[in-house]
Amino acid sequence: MAGNETYAIAVDIGGTFTDITLADRASGRLWQVKVPTTPSDQSAAFAEGIRRVLAMAAIAPGQVAGVFHGTTIATNAILERKGANLGLITTQGCRYVLHIGRHDVAKNANSYFWIRPARLVPPRRIEEAIERMGPDGKTEKALDETHLRGALRRLRARDIESLAVCLLHAYANPAHEQRVRAIAAAELPGVPCSLSAEVLPVFREYERTTATVINAYVMPKVAGYHQRLETRLKALDIAAALRIMKSNGGMYSAHEAARQPIHTALSGPAAAVVGAILVGRSSGHPNIISIDIGGTSADICLSRDGRPEITAAGEISGLPLNVAMLDVNTIGAGGGSIAKVTDNGSLRVGPESAGAEPGPACYGRGGAEPTVTDANLVLGRSPASLGGEVALDARLAEDAIRTRVAQPLDLTLAQAAEGIVELLNNNMAAAIRAVSVERGHDPREFALVAGGGGGALHAGRLAELLHIPRVIVPAAAGLLSTLGLLATDLKSDFVQTLIQRSDQYDLAKLNAALALLEARAHDWFQSEAVAPEDATLVRTASLRYINQAYEITVALPEKPAVRSETALTAADLAQLEDQFHRSHEQLYSWSSRELAVELVNLGVSAYGRLAKLELAARAAPPNPPPPVPRSRRQVYFGGREGGFRATPVHDFDALVPGQTIAGPAIVEQRFSTILVLPGHLASMDRLGNVLMEVRR
Amino acid sequence: MSRAAKDRTVDPVVVEIVQGALKACGDEMESVIVRTSMSPFIREKGDHFSGLTDRRARLLYTTNDRAGPGMIETIWEKYPAQCMRPGDVYWMNDPYLLRGAISHSPDMCFIAPAFLGETLIGYSLCFGHFWDVGGARPGSISPSATDIFQEGIAVPQVRIVAQGELNDDLYRLILRNSRFPDMLEGDTRAMMAATRIGQSRLVELFERYGAEQIEACFEELLLRSEKVVRSHIARYSRSGRFRFADYVDDDCVTETPYRIELAVDIDGDEVRLVDGSGSDDQAKGPINYILHPDICRMMLSRFLLRDDRTAFQNQGAYRVVEEVKLRPGSLLQPTRPAPLGLRAHTLHRFLNAVLGVFAQATAGGTPAGSPDYVIVIMHTLDAQSGKYVLCTDGLGVGQGARPFADGLDVIYSRRQKNYPMEFLENTYTMRIEHFGIAADSGGPGQYRGGLGIVRDYRMLADNVTLATRMANRKTPPWGVNGGMAGRTGSIIVNPGQADERRIAGFSDGIKLARGDLVRIISTGGGGYGDPLAREVARVEDDVADGFVTLEAALADYAVIIDPATLSADLAATARERAQRQAERAIAPPFFDRGPQFEALEQARQERRAASGASGER
Repeated sequence: MAGNETYAIAVDIGGTFTDITLADRASGRLWQVKVPTTPSDQSAAFAEGIRRVLAMAAIAPGQVAGVFHGTTIATNAILERKGANLGLITTQGCRYVLHIGRHDVAKNANSYFWIRPARLVPPRRIEEAIERMGPDGKTEKALDETHLRGALRRLRARDIESLAVCLLHAYANPAHEQRVRAIAAAELPGVPCSLSAEVLPVFREYERTTATVINAYVMPKVAGYHQRLETRLKALDIAAALRIMKSNGGMYSAHEAARQPIHTALSGPAAAVVGAILVGRSSGHPNIISIDIGGTSADICLSRDGRPEITAAGEISGLPLNVAMLDVNTIGAGGGSIAKVTDNGSLRVGPESAGAEPGPACYGRGGAEPTVTDANLVLGRSPASLGGEVALDARLAEDAIRTRVAQPLDLTLAQAAEGIVELLNNNMAAAIRAVSVERGHDPREFALVAGGGGGALHAGRLAELLHIPRVIVPAAAGLLSTLGLLATDLKSDFVQTLIQRSDQYDLAKLNAALALLEARAHDWFQSEAVAPEDATLVRTASLRYINQAYEITVALPEKPAVRSETALTAADLAQLEDQFHRSHEQLYSWSSRELAVELVNLGVSAYGRLAKLELAARAAPPNPPPPVPRSRRQVYFGGREGGFRATPVHDFDALVPGQTIAGPAIVEQRFSTILVLPGHLASMDRLGNVLMEVRR
Repeated sequence: MSRAAKDRTVDPVVVEIVQGALKACGDEMESVIVRTSMSPFIREKGDHFSGLTDRRARLLYTTNDRAGPGMIETIWEKYPAQCMRPGDVYWMNDPYLLRGAISHSPDMCFIAPAFLGETLIGYSLCFGHFWDVGGARPGSISPSATDIFQEGIAVPQVRIVAQGELNDDLYRLILRNSRFPDMLEGDTRAMMAATRIGQSRLVELFERYGAEQIEACFEELLLRSEKVVRSHIARYSRSGRFRFADYVDDDCVTETPYRIELAVDIDGDEVRLVDGSGSDDQAKGPINYILHPDICRMMLSRFLLRDDRTAFQNQGAYRVVEEVKLRPGSLLQPTRPAPLGLRAHTLHRFLNAVLGVFAQATAGGTPAGSPDYVIVIMHTLDAQSGKYVLCTDGLGVGQGARPFADGLDVIYSRRQKNYPMEFLENTYTMRIEHFGIAADSGGPGQYRGGLGIVRDYRMLADNVTLATRMANRKTPPWGVNGGMAGRTGSIIVNPGQADERRIAGFSDGIKLARGDLVRIISTGGGGYGDPLAREVARVEDDVADGFVTLEAALADYAVIIDPATLSADLAATARERAQRQAERAIAPPFFDRGPQFEALEQARQERRAASGASGER
């Protein structure tokens, strides 16, 4: 990579804070700031953070070569059911496909008690189009355009803001869907339109409709947001491309993301996972459980051998989401989680959050309800200010906890505060069990990578609860997601369904389809401005035994990314089939060369290599002296340690690799606080990460 | 609790890990089945089961809350545990030999013992509903069957894999008996692979933590479920004897309705007796249901576990039910060779009777009644190729309303999925012209019964034979606590045309021509609570979304809605509701059994009086 492309900015927006990292990708040097998230218009904090980090580093806007962003705009819209007022056009007779679903009750739910999650569009806003495609892609009934216009006008009368179109068999022939879009452009001017053939062009109408509807549901919000971001960047004189983290851990352009926002459903959490993997790998721990604790939620993901768990049968808010994504478990538990005593006298923490506005009581912005952050402050575990910038008011925190938790439950202030923290820890431990223990992974074989503003405060106790032997607190724990944004590639997948029996291959057809896919990938390289030397294509085919419902994806012979005349040969296909039998045996423990095989999909994955951040080693003097605490303060360690204890407080920036600290101790980082519990031993590694050995 | 149990100390973290690993293993077995099997019944619809037991065959985990017990004990009768070897896989499907552990022939069971070294440590097991196992009709299940031999091949206990070696002679013999041998092969391979996965995961678990610790964890998990079930009985039910009776419309080959009767004794925190012996004698047609006593227990524990996700449906959960009393020769304990193919209808009546019992014991703490799922079978024989084409489509029905929510719309039995229209049209020469909701089918109530569906199939092939299975036409799913019964479904060929035909609920051998349209309207669930107490806004929403018609809003809920704006006239509605309330002579009954139930009961009494009442319970 050329030297003038070295500076990149990563922005991750959470519910409470917006994190910004400016990196010199060549040297590994980082400049980081954290600003309060601006919920009414998140682009304001985005711009303010960038302005400040540029000033801090004294870098000119023109030197910035890339802006990378992890966003929760789409996620929140779906979780809170606050997306667009949506209309859906479907084939005549299919109005209730979405409502009916697949008949199924959620796994492990008892149907006597289960409640079906609300659909994103009710039947009253679903209109049918008179038309029919056959499963072979032939038109069985032409589209009745007059009738369609009437349907679109009825939707207009319902003030729809976004339109989804999912017609039967559109994966086989998108012509009618495309025609609906053209007519909708006239009848519903300015209303964005999502076509199922573009969002998820595979058969099974319920799953395809759901994906299309999710895409349409978040599209106006995401598109408007990206527009605002680009305006802000322009105002800052930054010309570099804006790229967005996808749920699968890859990147795409903001322009593409506005068209296919469905892939940002897990953007923010994916960034934190990629960051945690980077840190784990560089400190010699390929098996990690990452937990990113922000103000509103905690994201948990398990990675083995440096690879995160990926699913193509994901779910969001009870709806199927059959696009590739990291398998992240998100729970409503964070620093802003509100503690309350219920009518029957039990203490609950979360999932409601005080968010950024008004925030925890101690922020002094009018929040009256006690939060986890307030509890940590009362216990002396967190410092009296955030990053030395936002002062926290302990008196307000005490008042909130005393009146709303301690007095109703007849506890001391410290007991109440500790109860709040312990309850949150148990909620998070259960969520970690769901991705580890409940999938047969033993947490004792993993390291816990604690990110986000609250990760390092809670990780020690979580490790105790789960018997995890080691915690890694990254050097920039509070901005872990931004590291992930700087550590991945551009990625896009192109797929075409083309079913052929293996004993009746039509080589010409296969090669023509492959050439078309590659052409689309090249167009994408062009639109993403990927230089030829950075472009990689991986060609795949999905095969199955005839009568099976699921395919196995097998890589086709490699081919350079640049266009060439390397067509598939009969020998390639024989090799492909052989590989399929072997993969089937390996994956499922059986295969049969007697059963007929068919090819179902051809695929091309396009990667655009990006300059990636390498973490820099921290200056390490030989034989460092024992660290000297900056100060001592009273920290509460509960019944087991006799209440408040004078506890040494270390300054993270003063530590050097090789130094060790025995708990109890506090290590203050700029954007997070490490709590070293009694009996735990913390040490700094060569990259400046703090490793905690859990000795209990 | 025994002294030994009290003194037992298990690492609480390992218990959680073992519980998680059992579930993960069951899920992994399922995943192999779904991803590699070939019958649409298994891969699209999900009619299969995976489970794990300890070495004493006690069920530890099941992916189907009505399956698991009884299979291993049957294998033992032919292959005692001490003659089993590592690498063995056992296969069987004979419901009579299995005493109802599986209860009709298409469910093929596979069982693999797991060994740590030479020591047997547990079993992994699964079944799948195979597409066709021979018999009188394609698909092996026919409403017109009159003995079990018409329902396909009977596989007794056989060792299909001995120490890793497939018995190919036996394998080919069984495959040859199917109309679709390729699918049978794919399904068999998938099942055997799933049992092998269960086997190796069990072994890994034992290797990691040692037999002693793992077995202690198993005990702990069984005990955990037992405690949850006991605490729920004590908390929600009163003690006493509770009775409930219901009817299966007919046995498909005669017109006679069949009655099942259930009495349950609840005492403190346990169920002392489940007595089904008062049910009618076995039927000539295929509605006979061999009720395995442990599966009967599971039907109770399924409700009693409620929504506690920390406890599994395992042997600990269902052992709380002490005695199960059934009468040989009756509908719930038929003797060979009675046909069993349509046992699901009797099964569902029994399952609902369990809820009917608990509705009384908990003063309305249960869902209202739910109908049986609907099955549509269409097949043809291609004269040229000699090959059969078979489509067996399962359709959802509305579920009973709950004390806290409307009934679920369009659910098949538990977790089984529907066939996507795009799957059907890609696979069969037919067109699905409509797939929607049956408006007004849900029983009215403060909480409405779930809705049934409407599905229209257009035949694009010649000479299709149709068979149907739709029950609840004589006794619809009951409403409870003031809620009304669900509305029954119907089957119509060429609706609205000159040649319109109405088809019986249980039918077989119906000939269809190219261009015919078959319309299925499925049944809705029973309602819960007084419909006059339903929130007006919910009725408005139901009308706007097409779930309830304007007419039914007035007739069933006394809500007056303006057809133009679709909003309710609140003042007129209040007046209408007050008037209806005043006109009521008596309060609505606790159960609404539909218009025919009393007449059926009376006719039966008269028959029994005339014949001198045999088989008194």
